[in-house]
Amino acid sequence: MSAQIPGSRSGAASSSKPLLELRGVTAAYGGIQVLHGVDLEVPEGAVLALLGPNGAGKTTTISVACGLMEPTAGKVYMAGADVTGVGAEELARRGVVTVPEGKGIFPNLTVKENLLMATYAGVDMDHVEAVAYEQFPRLGERRTQVAGTLSGGEQQMLAMARGLAVNPAVLLLDELSMGLAPLVVEELYGIVARIARTGTSILVVEQFARTVLGVADLAAVMVNGRVRAVGRPSEIENELSAAYFGV
Amino acid sequence: MSGVTVRFGGHQALTDVSLGVDEGQIVGLIGPNGAGKTTLFNAVCGVVTPSAGSVRIMGRDVSNLNTHRRARLGLGRTFQRLEVFSSLTVSDNVRVGVEIRQTWERRGTTARQFLATDGNLPVDAEVDLILERLGLGGLADVPVGSLPTGQARLVELGRALGARPSVLLLDEPASGLDDPETADFGRLLTDLAGAGLGILLVEHDVGLVMDVCEHICVLDFGSVIASGDPEVVRANEAVVAAYLGAGT
Amino acid sequence: MRGIEGAQEVVKIVVTVSLMVALIFVALWIWPEDQAHPLGNLVSTGELKVAGVTLTGQRLLTIGTAIVVAIVLRFILRGTRLGIAMRAVVDDRSLLKLNGGRPDRTSMLSWALGASLAAVSGVLLASEQAPSVIPLTLLVVNAYAAAVVGRLRSIPGAFAGSIVLGLAISYVGAYTPADAAWGPIALDNLQRAVPAIMLFLVILAQPQVRLRAHSLQRARRPMPVPNQRLAAIGGLVLVATVVGIGSLMSGPDQNTLLKGFGFAIATLSLVPLTGYSGQISLAQLTFTGIGAVVMASWGASGDVFWVFVAVAVCSAVGALVALPALRLSGIYLALATAAFAIFCYWMVFQQQDVMPGSTASVPYLKIGPLEVGSDFGQLVVLAVAFAVIANVLVALRRSAWGRRLTAMRDSPVACATLGLNLMSTKVGVFALSAAIAGAGGALAGRTFVVDDFGLDQSLPITMLAVVGGIGSVGGALLGGLLLGVAPIATTALAANAIGVFRVLQRLGHPGDLGHAGLHGDRPRAHPRRCRSRHRGRLPGLLPLREAIAAAIVAAAALWLAARTELIANWGLFAAVVVLAFAVLPVLPAILPPPGENRRGRVGPTAVWLVVLLAVTALIPWENAIGSTGFRLIAILGWTVLGALTTLGILGLDPTGRLNVSGASPDHIGLDSSLGDAEAMVAAAEVGVDEELLSVPTPVALEVLRGGGDR
Repeated sequence: MSAQIPGSRSGAASSSKPLLELRGVTAAYGGIQVLHGVDLEVPEGAVLALLGPNGAGKTTTISVACGLMEPTAGKVYMAGADVTGVGAEELARRGVVTVPEGKGIFPNLTVKENLLMATYAGVDMDHVEAVAYEQFPRLGERRTQVAGTLSGGEQQMLAMARGLAVNPAVLLLDELSMGLAPLVVEELYGIVARIARTGTSILVVEQFARTVLGVADLAAVMVNGRVRAVGRPSEIENELSAAYFGV
Repeated sequence: MSGVTVRFGGHQALTDVSLGVDEGQIVGLIGPNGAGKTTLFNAVCGVVTPSAGSVRIMGRDVSNLNTHRRARLGLGRTFQRLEVFSSLTVSDNVRVGVEIRQTWERRGTTARQFLATDGNLPVDAEVDLILERLGLGGLADVPVGSLPTGQARLVELGRALGARPSVLLLDEPASGLDDPETADFGRLLTDLAGAGLGILLVEHDVGLVMDVCEHICVLDFGSVIASGDPEVVRANEAVVAAYLGAGT
Repeated sequence: MRGIEGAQEVVKIVVTVSLMVALIFVALWIWPEDQAHPLGNLVSTGELKVAGVTLTGQRLLTIGTAIVVAIVLRFILRGTRLGIAMRAVVDDRSLLKLNGGRPDRTSMLSWALGASLAAVSGVLLASEQAPSVIPLTLLVVNAYAAAVVGRLRSIPGAFAGSIVLGLAISYVGAYTPADAAWGPIALDNLQRAVPAIMLFLVILAQPQVRLRAHSLQRARRPMPVPNQRLAAIGGLVLVATVVGIGSLMSGPDQNTLLKGFGFAIATLSLVPLTGYSGQISLAQLTFTGIGAVVMASWGASGDVFWVFVAVAVCSAVGALVALPALRLSGIYLALATAAFAIFCYWMVFQQQDVMPGSTASVPYLKIGPLEVGSDFGQLVVLAVAFAVIANVLVALRRSAWGRRLTAMRDSPVACATLGLNLMSTKVGVFALSAAIAGAGGALAGRTFVVDDFGLDQSLPITMLAVVGGIGSVGGALLGGLLLGVAPIATTALAANAIGVFRVLQRLGHPGDLGHAGLHGDRPRAHPRRCRSRHRGRLPGLLPLREAIAAAIVAAAALWLAARTELIANWGLFAAVVVLAFAVLPVLPAILPPPGENRRGRVGPTAVWLVVLLAVTALIPWENAIGSTGFRLIAILGWTVLGALTTLGILGLDPTGRLNVSGASPDHIGLDSSLGDAEAMVAAAEVGVDEELLSVPTPVALEVLRGGGDR
């Protein structure tokens, strides 16, 4: 990444051009439309938190952004280039790292073997291992353990280690906190903040999340397949409680 | 049920959860994603085996019984991920519920199961009644596979009612319903409870839970972090933290 | 195999089995069985004596290769990125994609690696075992017996399993001399049954499969609920046709057709088992064999009482086999039934007391004073039996029990929470299915040989039932008949069976084009289907008296022409096929339904149809093409061409024949925009919640709008 924006993240949010941009994206499973025209911009080096209740279309948005799903209409841009319809594996090789909801690891592979899979993105194994074990010493102790037997927090760390080691342009995180203890969640978001400081643009999807707002530069509230509001975390508090508690 | 603990591999999904549902009572079970609500349901129904603890239905310990035996003692449920019979029509889904109940109510032998055909007025009448009560009357002949989720969930509820349970476990029954439909659904639940049915309700729509439940349990990381009537739970700090994240 | 990833288990198994059957026939075609293909040792020199045991060079090579392969395989799967990716694909395809890996390519390489290893083992085996297509193919049972020890996942487990299996086979071979017996039971074939016995035992030791709390198969394509009246009419037509055609046939052909009908009934037995309740069995012909043997050894008088005894025996055996096997599902159930088939073939049917001279002569049927005296008479009995059983099955599907079976297939866990005892229901349907298959054998009225009841015969039965439209009685008839009359159909046809059945299936169930999944077809891949629904909707055939009358007159005319030898038998066959599949379905388009005017189409279409029929009947099929197999294919091809052209003239699509506004369950799937495979892939890949998968199909929307209720 060319632009390093250390520290002043709020500044990054307003001034930079978008690195990941969804424009008028609609998506459907078979006959049912899930996204009804989503416009979303993740500015370069910024963290955008996408929040909303169950079934709002957050996971589908991620799926479109990472290339697993093709939008029925609309465009996806990465760093200004149109990547609509480019496959997930191709995007991954171009520096998009996605940690999907609750299953960011291969449960029957060992920790080390899981990390080896990250090398498809074009980094060498030594680097991946060095970064992963330095950031998460616990993974280093368990490098030969089968990943499915790690605790939930360690599994998410393993998934995140990939995000750290690849040094991606864009990081897409889906429900990072699901089923994890608050302390673990805070630790994970500390790492998200650290990755953000290296200039990576991050899109985080969360359902219940005040923790993520502490890390995010921008937050968007999504309801029924549409983005209802975007703004600084402080600006959208009202929208947020309306979306959850139906006030 | 009392003191149910469920383990998966290294994970402990539920730790010593105890709760009870009385006749005619609606108990709400809420908590963030991954808190263990569905696992609790599965343990109660016998789909997963708890590593410790017991499940009692009407005072009888059913911990060692199969899923279908528990059902015959009056335990009914719906599923978070729909489990409708998608190749059958709406009315046939409910009909299967009624018919299966008839086979075990009559202690039917296999031969009798063979002979239990339709054309039997009571079955039809019961199916019609259930469909009408759920507002599905106009959709009786529609294949369930082609219904939107909200209605498919109602079909699942209707099917469970066909088995005439005394305790009903509902796993997110209102997701997929719009606001007026949810309000109707809330009234339906109150009516069912009024008729003596005990209901354990897992639901993300906290508003609905607060409206209909007399008692609410909040589950987080597999254990109960709060329980009591809606006002108590609403005011509980731990609950707010569980939902919106700690540390604020 | 890419297209079937994420498809239903039954479909996966059947597609694999179909491929295997097709390859067997291709191999038999290339290397005819009556020619020997001796192969020398790869290494002819060199012997080694180790502790008194002489090892030939060939065997040393085999052992060495096995060790090297195991080590290399372990290195590849544990130490290289490609190998680890192969294991990663099994865990989570889409996550591999998100990592930048290419799951499709990786899967393909896994297949290629597996196939190459199989080829290596073939080369090594060639000198040990006379290379013969079917025994070599059935070595797959040995392979599974070994691999299941490692739960199909672990290389050391599979290695240990194969050593145990190999030792067991050798010891059993060494300690059972040719005349060995245990009481009255001859044990000379015990050695060959060892793999099946071991497979069965290992499978029994597998832990119970847990009830899946949620299935991903949300958008299941509903099975048509058959119409009882149609089934009854179909039964009558079938009997009439058999009487008509049978009277034209020569003696040997009639006898062959008896076998065909016996097997057709065996195929029919899969309709409740696989079609309604989603279980799989690869041993149906074993039950047919048991039925035939019971009838041949005890009921030699042909008295109908013994038919019932045979049916009862089969149903009891079926229940016994099912009891342990049904704890499992999917591939394990399929393997357990395959093991049972092999066990029975070697240890039961090969007994001289069971099938003297390796044959079983099933007598003609006798009911009180009524006695069947000829193949033709027995043929009519079988046709009646088929029609009756088919009608009972249709009634069953419409009954409470049938609904329950379908419900169990859709969601076992939901059935359990309603209080259904899954085990007894499954055993019940398995017993029923075995009973039907047994009836096919007991009523066949001809002499069977042992080889009629091998696993290699049962596999195509299951395949044909599924490909011919599982759950459909018509599919069972076609499947069984084609297999039973294999001598007529020749290997060429068998090799093409899959393709032929696709065609038949499409013509036979025009509304069911969306048999998605079987070949990975995705509904959306057929844009033609989507546009057809609102144009040219044709009414059904049955309400039109004129159409029925025309059909009967045409059939009678053809029969007379054949009887008077105006046209030859093959001409008759061809014309009947054309009549059934190309002419009848479009009759409603020519004959205007009440209150609608279709004038303008009538003239040209009628002329075209008459020409089509006449040309078909008059082509000298015997001489036109060489083998009978090609003849059949040509006739079918001609039919397809005719039907498509006719429909083209009418501006209709076959799917248009359906009357959609009735919203019967028969019609969904037709429009559900998400097939099974797709729904599951979608669910697995993007973590879709069920909301998204419950797709309101156009049919439902139409009903919702038209019904005006909501």
